[in-house]
Amino acid sequence: MKLELTINGRVHSVEIDPGEMLLDVLRRLGYKSVRRSCNSASCGNCTVLMDGKPILSCTTFAARAMGHNIETVESLSEDGKLHDIQESLLETGGAQCGFCIPGFVLTTKALLEENPEPTEKEIREALNGNLCRCTGYESQIKAVLNITRKRGGHVNE
Amino acid sequence: MSFKVLLPESEDELMTMLMYDNAELMAGGTDLLVRIRAGKVKPDKVISLAKIPDMDEIVDKGDRIRIGCKVTHAMALNSEIVQRNSPIMVLALREIGSPQIRNRGTIAGNIVNASPAGDSLVPLYLSNARVIIHGPKGERKLPIEEFIKGPGKTALSMGEYLRAVDFEKTGDWYPVFHKVGQRTALAIAIASLGMLIKKDKIRIVFGSVAPTVVRAYKAERFYERVNGDITVMDEFLERCLEYLSPIDDVRASAWYRKEVIKNLLKRTFDSWRKRVL
Repeated sequence: MKLELTINGRVHSVEIDPGEMLLDVLRRLGYKSVRRSCNSASCGNCTVLMDGKPILSCTTFAARAMGHNIETVESLSEDGKLHDIQESLLETGGAQCGFCIPGFVLTTKALLEENPEPTEKEIREALNGNLCRCTGYESQIKAVLNITRKRGGHVNE
Repeated sequence: MSFKVLLPESEDELMTMLMYDNAELMAGGTDLLVRIRAGKVKPDKVISLAKIPDMDEIVDKGDRIRIGCKVTHAMALNSEIVQRNSPIMVLALREIGSPQIRNRGTIAGNIVNASPAGDSLVPLYLSNARVIIHGPKGERKLPIEEFIKGPGKTALSMGEYLRAVDFEKTGDWYPVFHKVGQRTALAIAIASLGMLIKKDKIRIVFGSVAPTVVRAYKAERFYERVNGDITVMDEFLERCLEYLSPIDDVRASAWYRKEVIKNLLKRTFDSWRKRVL
């Protein structure tokens, strides 16, 4: 079936199999920041934003994304300049092997849009569906708290 | 993994499709698609609710709340009606999966999965939930305890689907929800405990320790008989444990599950006593 997908503000017209997952279609279209790892809705690496909310693309039909805005990490950096969430993760060492980072960045983006000054507990709750096997999470939590500080917000430590 | 995806656009169309052989109904897909990929179910057709309008109502029905079959965990969590009238539901929903899962998974899906570990089932059992079933013969209602028959088994017959669920408002009860899993997020419960307490009245529900979620009616009656004065904790525990028939599986042993429930009960009553005194 033919499908129109809006990804990062750009409309793609794409031929898909009705049973195809959003993850597969996104990667086929070249959005390689969307990672496949558990493929069973357990790790959060394939997270994308659908209308600003984090969802798992490994268990969402591509057809389901029609008429919604899909956002991947590719949309974040402008002219080679990293988004402040990415920048902050780099500074704290939150990105080690980096595999889980796109999912982390997008989930964080959604969190900060809903709640610009999250407490550490709220950050942990929001990010608890994104697994990382390198860092032990401390550096990611710190990165998110730092963004709040840098944006001039109050840090609830 | 080859199946056809069907996208009915009305409830009538849906009902016709439900008569097809080997078709699975899907709302959020957070569970079904994982089971398909694992080869546990091999449907020829997956019927998605995506294009059917409405079905995502959260309605104040006086002393009850009605939730449509397309309401996600996140929608229910953010609903003022739910927040105000069912703190126990809020406690349980916050423990489900992760934000990503809560944005797609539905309460109705949690019910039809009929897993003894279904987190949202605990508050539903505590709130005397009724499921509203639509099918070729019209509408029927069933208490959730009669709807869920065993692991993965429900009272749905051919052509029927779960249209909504309604449950009591319990805003004036003190809510307790404990879930023990291997990690906080995305973990299936090893054992869970939900309670509603109001003076000398109590409702108690256990998850993951029997073929279905269970409500410990005998223990509830005992508690009322002694006017909530459970200085004789052992007798109360005994009545609770009657409802437990846990299994050994990859997540925990039966013995461990029982111990966990005993400890959760003791701990809850200790803190409850401190609160009251």
